[in-house]
Amino acid sequence: MTRFCFSLVLIVVLSSCEPPPVFPGADRRQNSRPARIEGEVVVSSTARGNVVVLLFDAARPPPPTGTGRPLTFALVPRLRLFGDVGDFDTGPFVAPFAFSFVNPGQYQVRAFIDANDDFVPWYGVTNEVNSGDVGGAAIDSISRLPLTIIVPAQEDGTPTPVLDVPVSIADTARVPVDRPVFEVAMAGTNVPLTEVMLAGAPLALDLRVKPVTDGVMRQAQPIFLARFVDDNGDGMPDDANGDGVPDMWPRVVVRKMANEAVGVNPLADENDLDRNGVIDETGADYDHVNPMGGATIPADGTPDLVVLAAGINPTELAPQLLDAMGRVKTTPTPITRLPIVIRPTALDATDSRRPVPIKGVPEGRYAITVIQQTGQTWRVPNELQDGLATRFGLPVVPSQTFVVRVGPR
Amino acid sequence: MTNTSSARLAAGLLLVWATTTLADPRVEARRHFKTGMFLINEGRYDEAISELLEAYSIKPHPNVLFNVARAHEAAGRAVEAVNFYRRYLDTNPPDADKVRETLNKLEPLLPKKVEPVVEPVKVVEPKNDPKPKVSPAVDDATLAKMAALTERLEKAVAQAERRAEADSEGLQTPKEAAAAPAPTDDFGVPYEETVVAAARRSQSSLEAPNATTVITGDEIRASGLTSIPEILRRVPGAEVMAMGFSSSNLSIRGFNQRINNKVLVLVDGRPEYQDFLGVTLWPVLPVGIEEIERIEVIRGPAGALYGANAMLGVVNIITRAPGTGPRAEATGLFGNGNLAGGSFVASGGETLKYRASVGYLQADKFTRDYEEGRPDVESAVAEPNLALRSARANLTAFYAFNKTFSLAASGGVNRLFTEVYGIGLLRNFFLDGVGGYAKADFTGGPIKARFFWNHLNATAGPQYNVLGQRSLQTTLDSNVFDAEVLFQQGFDLAGRHQLAVGVSGRLKRLDWGYTSGLTEELHAAAFFQDEWRVIPSLTIVGSFRIDRHPLIDKGKPGVVPSPRLSLVFSPFEGHAFRGMVSSAFRQPTFLESYVNLPIPTPGVSGASVLTQGNRELKPESLLSFELGYRGEAARLGLSWDFAGYINFVNNLMVLSAVAPLTADAAFDARSQTYLLGRSTFVNDPGNYRAIGGELGLTWNATRGLDLRASAAVQTIQSVENAAVCGACTQAPALKLNGGVIYRSPVNLDVSADLSYVTSTVWVEREPSPSDPTQILNVRNALPGFAVVNARIAYRFLDDKVTFAVVGQQLAAAHQEHPFGNNINRRVFAQLSVQP
Repeated sequence: MTRFCFSLVLIVVLSSCEPPPVFPGADRRQNSRPARIEGEVVVSSTARGNVVVLLFDAARPPPPTGTGRPLTFALVPRLRLFGDVGDFDTGPFVAPFAFSFVNPGQYQVRAFIDANDDFVPWYGVTNEVNSGDVGGAAIDSISRLPLTIIVPAQEDGTPTPVLDVPVSIADTARVPVDRPVFEVAMAGTNVPLTEVMLAGAPLALDLRVKPVTDGVMRQAQPIFLARFVDDNGDGMPDDANGDGVPDMWPRVVVRKMANEAVGVNPLADENDLDRNGVIDETGADYDHVNPMGGATIPADGTPDLVVLAAGINPTELAPQLLDAMGRVKTTPTPITRLPIVIRPTALDATDSRRPVPIKGVPEGRYAITVIQQTGQTWRVPNELQDGLATRFGLPVVPSQTFVVRVGPR
Repeated sequence: MTNTSSARLAAGLLLVWATTTLADPRVEARRHFKTGMFLINEGRYDEAISELLEAYSIKPHPNVLFNVARAHEAAGRAVEAVNFYRRYLDTNPPDADKVRETLNKLEPLLPKKVEPVVEPVKVVEPKNDPKPKVSPAVDDATLAKMAALTERLEKAVAQAERRAEADSEGLQTPKEAAAAPAPTDDFGVPYEETVVAAARRSQSSLEAPNATTVITGDEIRASGLTSIPEILRRVPGAEVMAMGFSSSNLSIRGFNQRINNKVLVLVDGRPEYQDFLGVTLWPVLPVGIEEIERIEVIRGPAGALYGANAMLGVVNIITRAPGTGPRAEATGLFGNGNLAGGSFVASGGETLKYRASVGYLQADKFTRDYEEGRPDVESAVAEPNLALRSARANLTAFYAFNKTFSLAASGGVNRLFTEVYGIGLLRNFFLDGVGGYAKADFTGGPIKARFFWNHLNATAGPQYNVLGQRSLQTTLDSNVFDAEVLFQQGFDLAGRHQLAVGVSGRLKRLDWGYTSGLTEELHAAAFFQDEWRVIPSLTIVGSFRIDRHPLIDKGKPGVVPSPRLSLVFSPFEGHAFRGMVSSAFRQPTFLESYVNLPIPTPGVSGASVLTQGNRELKPESLLSFELGYRGEAARLGLSWDFAGYINFVNNLMVLSAVAPLTADAAFDARSQTYLLGRSTFVNDPGNYRAIGGELGLTWNATRGLDLRASAAVQTIQSVENAAVCGACTQAPALKLNGGVIYRSPVNLDVSADLSYVTSTVWVEREPSPSDPTQILNVRNALPGFAVVNARIAYRFLDDKVTFAVVGQQLAAAHQEHPFGNNINRRVFAQLSVQP
């Protein structure tokens, strides 16, 4: 008996010092192995406000280079960054920031000072920079291009945190204009529409700037910054896709929206029901058309990103965008009316560089998005429409209900 | 071997047998007592006396002396009868006058000089009386048998008195010791299982208006377990959900959750319910396992007596009365998982009786949520492995001014570190601080007055902080002051009545970082109860309580009534049928009323979800219908308890789905984050129906061996057939429990218990993996699990030293909640010394 007890005690003593093992329960956080990105925001500006730091997937950068949406964001409070220094002090001011739960991958970081104090990340109409805000990014110190931050993973899958990422914000990147807030009218008219039907013929529309200054909406002077693209610097408008239409800023995207259904966000795009900017794994898929021979390519089971062929009517704007020599102006021209044409041709823009024609034009609602060269965007319909605005505490602007409709309601 | 030596050996063995082989002394004594009473009715007096003395040797009780005297009297042995009647009178029984009359009749029959204890057996010639008052003529063998019986009687009585003496730490005379078992606790029925909690007075379990379970101190000590929730697994219908070593949630008849708040836990009548959070923090209790006299569990609503929060049940932990139990006891334990602890309890006093204790316990977590050195989270505490560290002290004193007036005062303090699993998006929290209480009980005839103060001051926060995110660490200072006056009186009016009327008031003060500054609430209550014994076999219990809450009427002061009506029908001795209809409620906690906390959204450093209290919550309410049957075959040592119930539950307080905020309220200046939305405590519009049954069996199978088994089945349904019903899927359909305690005659004790709970599905909140700004209700399946606890012990030096090895959670490692620890084995050695 004594020997038995002694053995038991020995076992107990020997095992008493073992630390508890790690056991992740059902909690998803415990089952993931993310890292983090940390760094410092360095501000050289007289602007004051909270600094919003945004993290993007490097493969889906934000406008104007892409259409990506931020994966996450961090906030550096104004007080922590600027303290109580005077408004004319340009700094530099430095404060840390961090993104938690970042998976291995490649990222870009953008940032801005919310000088107007009107940034609200949850609504499309309030989640971008306005006139007076000061932009910035994590920049490669040599190339001065946005820095691609790589979060590596070790052999066992454990990611390595990336520390000391510098994010520079300077007055040189102060945003000059408000967002291109617009309403839609038939070409040559002044009556804003809430819906237009696209049938067999191209549709000519005018996008007109629409100031909205009510509550948190402070878009007093919306403007389109128009310009022919001249990336090769030859003074002539580029035509990258060779469609015979010169490339222009702003860019216009007419994208198919999700079908209205219970539980679906009424502003969601088709095949992006969670509104994260990434095509859903399952969704609507259409037959394509071989552009070479016109043959039908059956639907491949992969959800499509359906857009309509649309763009700015360059003819009307050309005189304003070319100098006296007929060369492309080097600076954008602010305009208040943007003539666009929407053709009854649908494309699958899953690969935006090589859009593929879709057989027919899928019926449903389409939204119009304008992307400025500054990266600012505006889209109708949006949260200012009747029915949503009140719920979100935003002003009701009836014209923001606008959709392009194909087929019956 | 001579006859004499054989007799001595036999007597010695008998003595050893009688003194060291008891599993549950009360149950064994009861079995012998019942057998003795049966034999008296059969006219087999000598055998009856033998059984009664066996009972007395196990657990002295004055009524046994009375019945031994009666048996001797019936057997025509006046000397022995007088002797035992006198012993009985020494205990100051309520029927002393009647006994004296009997003595007056018997004493003339005595020889002139009466030996104090034993006199040779008188042999009287039999008469033709069908119920002879004298024993028949006996031969030599019978005489020898009688002599042996007498010798045994002497030894048994002497042994019993020695034990009683030891129990009263030698400060009382044997006569006083015989009086010590407090006959008022068992209403004249020796060894009856008593319950205080069910009617706020001591009564037989058979008379209790609710389904009750009593776990005795002996049973608790035989289990070797170190935590009260672990002990409560054996209660039919109880659901113990261990999240970690020091964090457990207890529910009864379903509706368990993280931070369970629907069962009221009392220590000697003082609530341990933490009003700020609505949870029982088990490690905060300032008393040790070894100080517990018994645990009474009311299975089902008890709001009519205890008011708010006694919704699904009440756990009343009753500690040993000051001055009783061992004079001193020291215990130490050491085991795996950094489990170590010790305690010392001293009890004594003559006029002023006391019980003082100190204790220490520490243990590591079963498992950790995260390893060290992770790139995303870090431990917020210095010792991330630690689950519990508790250093406590407690003092209880009792002073009786006379037979009518007495004062009891107690106080305790506990410096502790423990863990608590939060609700909603919150996970494992630590709590590091000091808990304490002070309590005074005054008894003056039918009036009892009670005052207590509960205190908790602590720093609390998540055990793990997300690097780059705001911490939720906070401080809290909670103080609850409570006073109650209770009037209890019995009277006769068309039957016997036991009346109880009381009023109480409670002031709660909370200073907590999760609410806004100092918050106070003043509560009051009045209650009434009458137990009306219409006829000896039928008792009607009517109870009504009304509680005043400062916010209960849509944010304004209002009252909540809690009625109860019970019928207890006992057509036969040892059998009781019970019917009850009752309502109970749970009031909003400070958390549910006042919390205003932006909780960081995982993965989005700049965002939070605002969790807000609601001052217009209705109380959670329960309406219960219950039928029960409790019976026993005392001679077989068998008892059983069945309860069937249907409960209607509504207005559950839950966190709402995250609702978006308006744009102008989207930025929270306090946390400097954008608010993704707001989740508010709301009343669940759903109504739930819980139907279930519980069956418990205990069997004192043979000397030293106790067996126990119970089963509980239940189904919870949404009355509206809701598509997602967390309450329905989170309640296990079947709970089984079985246990054995064996105290062998060779000083080796063994106990084991097994619990099994069927699978459940827990609906919990998690951020969406693809978009952490979206909060989803995720269904987490949890397989059924088994819990096995066992103890093997060896007693030395006349039971003064006990060495035990205890294994907890010996079955397969498992989780009892999807976010909880993976609970695994704890084995420890325990040494207990009673000098």
